[in-house]
Amino acid sequence: MDNSGKEKEASALMAEAEKKLKSSQSFFGALFGGSSKMEEACDLYARAANMYKMAKNWCAAGNAFSQAARLHLQLQSKHDAATNFIDAGNAFKKADPQEAINCLNRAIEIYTDMGRFTIAAKHHISIAEIFETELVDIDKAIAHYEQAADYYKGEESTSSANKCLLKVATYVAQLEQYQKAIEIYEQVGTNAMDSTLLKYSAKDYFFKAALCHFCVDMLNAKLALQKYEEMFPAFSDSRECKLVKKLLDAYEEQNVDVYTDAVKEYDTVSRLDQWLTTMLLRIKKTIQEDESDLR
Amino acid sequence: MSSNFEAYEQDFGTLTAEITNKIGRIPKLGGEEKTQLVLNVDKQLEEVRELMEQMDLEVRELPIQSRGMYQSRLKSYKGEMEKLEKDFKRSRIAYSDEVRNELLGEDAGSSESQRAHLLDNTEKLERSSRRLEAGYQIAVETEQVGQEILANLHTDREKIQRSRDRLRETDANLGKSSRILTGMLRRIIQNRVLVFVLGAIILITIILAIYFNVRGR
Repeated sequence: MDNSGKEKEASALMAEAEKKLKSSQSFFGALFGGSSKMEEACDLYARAANMYKMAKNWCAAGNAFSQAARLHLQLQSKHDAATNFIDAGNAFKKADPQEAINCLNRAIEIYTDMGRFTIAAKHHISIAEIFETELVDIDKAIAHYEQAADYYKGEESTSSANKCLLKVATYVAQLEQYQKAIEIYEQVGTNAMDSTLLKYSAKDYFFKAALCHFCVDMLNAKLALQKYEEMFPAFSDSRECKLVKKLLDAYEEQNVDVYTDAVKEYDTVSRLDQWLTTMLLRIKKTIQEDESDLR
Repeated sequence: MSSNFEAYEQDFGTLTAEITNKIGRIPKLGGEEKTQLVLNVDKQLEEVRELMEQMDLEVRELPIQSRGMYQSRLKSYKGEMEKLEKDFKRSRIAYSDEVRNELLGEDAGSSESQRAHLLDNTEKLERSSRRLEAGYQIAVETEQVGQEILANLHTDREKIQRSRDRLRETDANLGKSSRILTGMLRRIIQNRVLVFVLGAIILITIILAIYFNVRGR
């Protein structure tokens, strides 16, 4: 694991590649097979980038890959350019998220140009994940997830599209855009009902949709619950449905204790995750506000 | 009037004490003595009932304000009497501990062991219910994991289907390209044959030209 040695090798390779590039751009070079020189330069850049990766010098690796990608674009080999941009993006992910996003965006442009929407969608998801974790820009993350979902729908992979839509829904619900979240959950739920593989997850989606309805307005929640029960009889047996009914009753009576008890009971059986706790807390706060209003 | 009531109360007290005593003794006896004692207790219970009725009448003749206290006392006495009757009934059919002990040869700690036994049972029940709860939790978790796995399977299924379609397309494209290549090969051969033929013709023309030239001289 001679990292510094690898780095020296890598820089040597980069220097060689640049020399080749310059020589190919001079007059004679262009005349006597400049393109092969450029291909060799590309190759050298790629090897240098791999060596940088071994030495864990992510920035340099990313740069080397982007150089290689640009050369490929000049050579009109779009596939190779796009792959190199992706490699650059992956290398930058560990060091500089912004650069990574730039590289990934360029790669996506190339792929959408070529008509390879599935891969473009996959990379939209990667960008959205970077926004989720490192740069924490939820709006942009939502935008990318939506874009990815649209591409997947265009390519008839409803399952992957649903996966992205669900992520969108969790985030918009947290941002209080309940209407959109409700639409997404209902749509995904109705899709899931019909498929033998997915019908066991359908009740989860309806539960979440009902909670979002609840955050907006209680009557909506009641009507929605009845609608879901009609559509999907198995839903009424689930513990989630029973919980929602108890919560509705507690809300009608404006009784915070009954509410808390019902939630606690559900929690002992199956832990409530982050999203659920946030939503339930919001609903509880509306109950408490109403109580204080009445007083 | 109230003094009458108090006299009745005292009688009631003595009678109930006697009855309780006798009831305690009944299970331990057997045969003749038992029947005698049972008859005795019966008679005393009758007396107690008559006393109660008289006390009732007394209370009713009392003025309204003092009635309340006497009525509550009367109620408690009635309760006592009912309890005595129940105990009496039970004692008539109950086997005493001593008789049982003679038969089975246990020591006097049998009731203790019964108690311990019961506590043991309750603990076992609690343990079982806790295990059931834990089992239920695990089942719910398993269901959630199952849901995730199913969703993944669905996505993978679509991916595989798409890959299969693409592979078929690629296959068709490869067939086409191989046909084009054979076509190219054929054209190359044709071209080469043509070149050779033309070359041969030119050569022959040159030879003929030289020949005629030489012939013509």
